[in-house]
Amino acid sequence: METLRLSEVRKSYGIGTPLELEVLHGIDLVLERGEFTALMGPSGSGKTTLLNIIGLLDRPNAGRLFIEGRETGELDEAGLTRMRGRSIGFVFQYHYLLPAFTALENVMMPILAARGRPDDEMRATAATLLDRVGLTPWRDNKATEISGGQQQRVAIARALAMKPALVLADEPSGNLDTQSADGVFDVLREINETSQTTFLIVTHDPRLAQRCDRIIELVDGRIVSDRPNPNVVRRG
Amino acid sequence: MNRFAFFELIVAFRFMREGLMQTLLIIVGVGLGGGVIVFMSALLSGLQANVVRRTLNYQAPIVILPPDQVARPLRAAEGAEIAAQVQPRSQRLRSIDQWQKIRDQVERMPDVIAVTPIVAGPGFVLRGDASKSVTITGIEPETYFRVIALDEKIIAGRFDVGPLDIIIGTELAKDLGANIGDKFRLATASGATATLTAIGIFDFGNKGVNERNVYVALRSAQNLLDLVGGASAIDVKVRDPFTAETIAQTIRAGTDLQVESWIVTNAQFFTAMRAQILTNTLIRIFVGLTVALGIASVLVVSVIQKSKEIGILRAMGASRGQVLRVFLIQGGAMALVGSVLGSLLAWTFLVIWRGVARNPDGTPMFIIQIEPSLFAIAMFAATVVGILAAATPARRAARLDPVVAMRS
Repeated sequence: METLRLSEVRKSYGIGTPLELEVLHGIDLVLERGEFTALMGPSGSGKTTLLNIIGLLDRPNAGRLFIEGRETGELDEAGLTRMRGRSIGFVFQYHYLLPAFTALENVMMPILAARGRPDDEMRATAATLLDRVGLTPWRDNKATEISGGQQQRVAIARALAMKPALVLADEPSGNLDTQSADGVFDVLREINETSQTTFLIVTHDPRLAQRCDRIIELVDGRIVSDRPNPNVVRRG
Repeated sequence: MNRFAFFELIVAFRFMREGLMQTLLIIVGVGLGGGVIVFMSALLSGLQANVVRRTLNYQAPIVILPPDQVARPLRAAEGAEIAAQVQPRSQRLRSIDQWQKIRDQVERMPDVIAVTPIVAGPGFVLRGDASKSVTITGIEPETYFRVIALDEKIIAGRFDVGPLDIIIGTELAKDLGANIGDKFRLATASGATATLTAIGIFDFGNKGVNERNVYVALRSAQNLLDLVGGASAIDVKVRDPFTAETIAQTIRAGTDLQVESWIVTNAQFFTAMRAQILTNTLIRIFVGLTVALGIASVLVVSVIQKSKEIGILRAMGASRGQVLRVFLIQGGAMALVGSVLGSLLAWTFLVIWRGVARNPDGTPMFIIQIEPSLFAIAMFAATVVGILAAATPARRAARLDPVVAMRS
């Protein structure tokens, strides 16, 4: 079952100006449910642009994008926001936690935005997610009171709060030391295997990419390589 | 509504708590501004009410008078011309023609509370060697007191004036060395005289009125001023004194009588009052603008400071409307809390003012009613101003592109 399909997706900046620049040149990509995929490429290859388009934070200039079988080109701003909230989770290089809220409240935030008012079920879901990323003892700490690795784990738990079909992670361990990076990656992998959530992870780190099921390489806005990773044996 | 309520409220209040110093400063600013507006409004309305009350103590809101007598020039015969200089006629004291009918008609008007006929004219009070010129006012006590609260102004004696009684003011009593029970001779220019007994002494708080006005029974005044069965004026009391001129115009339209409202006869006072209201309004506008700009500037800074948070809220599914409302709530809440503080401040100052601003005899200089409605209006208005002031930064926050916001 497809979680994501991109068909001939193009993205240009500065259209109609002498500085017009096409950064994505007709991307075709399908991610099946439960895939754990690494997206690699040098700086300026269009990885973040592609991730923003897939995450419905930006629109392509051409091509079609389907999330869980639904074409997104027809959706208006409000529809895109709803779909983003419901179907996609984000983990960024920087955690972007809300400093005024506790770890538990940060995880609750996407559900609160969708439902409008807090309830016990919401709290229980957030507490379970924090437990899965090993942060139960810190659930009532403010986001500013925990370490960088812990903050990124809270961000992962927040990305999973709405039980999204697809999680997009942009250099999720880029700001962390090797030990913390491995820990964060372990958490992502464990969630992927237990809940069949599809992950697309942008990374520069070949060591981490080697832990993914599939590795896609993007160079100058084109997919130059898309291969399964023979080194990975799935446990799920 | 349920869907709206909590997310925006929770985020808005956490954002405010996060920037606590900013929030407190703007709340104090709104409080001071709001306090000034509420205090000034209460003071001014108290002052105005006091002046209006004092003026209407001894003056009816509307007075109906007979039409002026006019000199009629000779009518020229056909083909002939007359060279004439027409001099205005001197006005003598006259009765209103069919005053009973007019009184009844006016009494039936919807905004009229009470109507009373009077006979008023010049006269002299004589006692021993002393004589004083006065305005004799003949009244029907039962209707007159409903228009002019003379009965409440009696400081000695009684007010149920009979055919042989007279009520005089404190100043006149002092000038004549008279007291309750003393007899006076009241004389008019026509030569009519009457000997009357002082049954009451009034104090309107106005030296001129206390010195000049005397009150007798209507029938006594009719005899003294040679207006038997007549009424030289009809005094009218209306529900809202500030509508007196409109009602006077309605009465005037249906008759040839002179109808004077207190608004026209006290034009100078109203000009001063209008100037005062204008000044107060200008101060209110400028204070309000300062408060609004304060709130707006704090929120503009807040939007810039929190652009990353706004970006992530948008990325995880918060709509533009939700982000907009987060900042509108902040504007409204800061203004509301500030206005509560301002109302408390104004209330404290008003209580202090009431204790301090007193006449030498210890009576209040003027009565300030501390109306809860004024505070409620101030809080409502401040909240609306706060929300409006927040509109621009809120729209800016809602329009932030999440990708750009997170990158900033």
